[in-house]
Amino acid sequence: MILVTEPYFRQQDNFEPLVPGDLHGNPARADWPTALTPCSQVASSIAPGERRATLLAPAGCLDAAAQAFAAGADAVYVGLKGWSRGGARHELDREQLRTCLALAHKLRKKVQLALNIIPKPGERKRLLGELGELAAWGLSAVIVNDAGVLRGIRQELADLAITASVGCGALNAQDVRFYQDLGASAVVLPGYLEPAEVATIKAKSTIAVELMLHMVEEFVQLGRCWMPSYLHFAAAERAAQTTRLGGSVKRGGVGSCFRICQQPWALVRDGVEVDNRVLPSRQISRLAELGEFLAAGVDVIKIQGRSLTADMVGAITGRYRSALEAWECGGAAALMPAGLPPMWTVQGR
Amino acid sequence: MQTFELNTTISNLRSLRETDLSAYDAVYLGNIYCRTFQENFLERLDDLREGIAHVKDRGLRAYVATYAAPRNDALPKVQKVLETAARAGADAIEVHNMGVLLMVHEQFPSLPVHVGGFANVYTDAGAAVLKEHGAVRFTPNYEISLDEVKAIADSVSLPAEILVHGKMPLGVSDSCFLLEYESKWAEKCPTVCQEDLFLRQGDWAIRPVGKGVLSGKDVCMLEHLPALVGAGYTMFRIEAAYETPAYRFNLAKIYRAAIERATQGDDTVDELAWHTVRQHTAVGLCNGFYFGRTGGEYVGSQGEMAEVRWTARG
Repeated sequence: MILVTEPYFRQQDNFEPLVPGDLHGNPARADWPTALTPCSQVASSIAPGERRATLLAPAGCLDAAAQAFAAGADAVYVGLKGWSRGGARHELDREQLRTCLALAHKLRKKVQLALNIIPKPGERKRLLGELGELAAWGLSAVIVNDAGVLRGIRQELADLAITASVGCGALNAQDVRFYQDLGASAVVLPGYLEPAEVATIKAKSTIAVELMLHMVEEFVQLGRCWMPSYLHFAAAERAAQTTRLGGSVKRGGVGSCFRICQQPWALVRDGVEVDNRVLPSRQISRLAELGEFLAAGVDVIKIQGRSLTADMVGAITGRYRSALEAWECGGAAALMPAGLPPMWTVQGR
Repeated sequence: MQTFELNTTISNLRSLRETDLSAYDAVYLGNIYCRTFQENFLERLDDLREGIAHVKDRGLRAYVATYAAPRNDALPKVQKVLETAARAGADAIEVHNMGVLLMVHEQFPSLPVHVGGFANVYTDAGAAVLKEHGAVRFTPNYEISLDEVKAIADSVSLPAEILVHGKMPLGVSDSCFLLEYESKWAEKCPTVCQEDLFLRQGDWAIRPVGKGVLSGKDVCMLEHLPALVGAGYTMFRIEAAYETPAYRFNLAKIYRAAIERATQGDDTVDELAWHTVRQHTAVGLCNGFYFGRTGGEYVGSQGEMAEVRWTARG
């Protein structure tokens, strides 16, 4: 029996440090500092006016946006009710979006709007019309996950910055060129790419590169999974009591990802059960390699997780802000965080 | 007069040579999931040249597949595959990745592009973008219905290729979890993913292939072919990248006969054909998402085959 549940966040009270190590499970290097060096103790290596990476945090509610800004986020991304893949519980309505924008503008910060579902052909015109109105409110960018939607927005709203979501599946330099040619202003890459790959991509494109440095890498790539709807398409449709398409999260079937990859499966070989397992996934938190990614030219450090609580958004954002500042002050190539909250597991995205 | 195409997928030269292609019109060459798949056409350019010649010598069209999710390190090899395909006279390139689409469009504009299922064509707007980049046909994302497929094809004037039989792709991965079993099993990479493997949960099954996941059940549209033909579809695929030569041949025979009957207005299904289908179905049948329902369901006379069965092997 498959458990069909809403995405949830596993609450824990204690913050315990992760075992120090890099993405590949290697132990911490001896030259990693065990704590971040205060900026005041290091001469800045970044000249005034030099490019700094933007820290982009998730906000599934107004409180999360406020905490993200307070913790040092330069920008937040939010979902608009009915149009994003975050699920209704983690989206803002129009008034909340207006409030969020007002807060951001007061703090001289920015808001990106996730419109990362694929509207039905009949919905597209309505979406573009609504977006035209919202863009005038001062959005810094919209995030989309479909080439057709991207081009439609570009044609209708020439001045609006558009980000090709990680759900677009860009992985290589040619992918980024494709979305650049289509009119994207930025492309989001998954955090499991290596710094050298990012450097190659930056060398061959002119648009901004966002890297989801803090994310869950699932077994199946984001935007390329319809396992849940293969098993329970009807459940997905019931969960989507809106005008959205049914089906996978990629398509817009909100609530349709019931973490089937994280439920136990029997592995059957030649008709005989040989193992019981979940499909592999891992939390990626590449703070230790932040310097290498920044040196590779990453423009935006993105944190995944509009389903995170406001407190967690603040804690994680603060950690990344501290690391960014330390790198900017001292140019450190590797920074080992003192600890990351272990509760942000695969359930928490 | 033939008005349709029946094609299949074959990952390497050995399997191509062992497959009787007499019931097919075209073949997709190459494994799109994994660079280390055994003797993958996409890593062995001499084999690819020979494979293209093998197919064309039999009067069939040779299509070359490309990786579903290549990272930068795979692009030089993709480049060589495209050059090889162009020189060897491949009839089309199958593209799942937008970067590869751009490479073909810019460097090999005379090579027709078939958009693959991982390119995520969900709407007419997406299909239109791909058509502008050289696409001459598309395999829709597997989770949209036939009604939606038809609307896209008509709106964009881009013909759709329909998976009519075989295990439906459900996802692609950047890593292979089957490598965890190398220390326990006799089979190692690059053959471990070709073993008889399923992931089972209650009444459900999926087929892991290392860097991808397929439906456990076989999509079967045999009894729905008259409706497909009636709706104007003319390009049909038997998905068989991880299947045996016998699977490809035996299913192609019955599908070809059924499509020919359907084009003549005959909607009967030979009972012997169902016997063949059952022989080559490991855990059951489904219709995918074609009828707007859960992908693992079956609509039609073979409802009992929608139940996952673990006894039959084919």
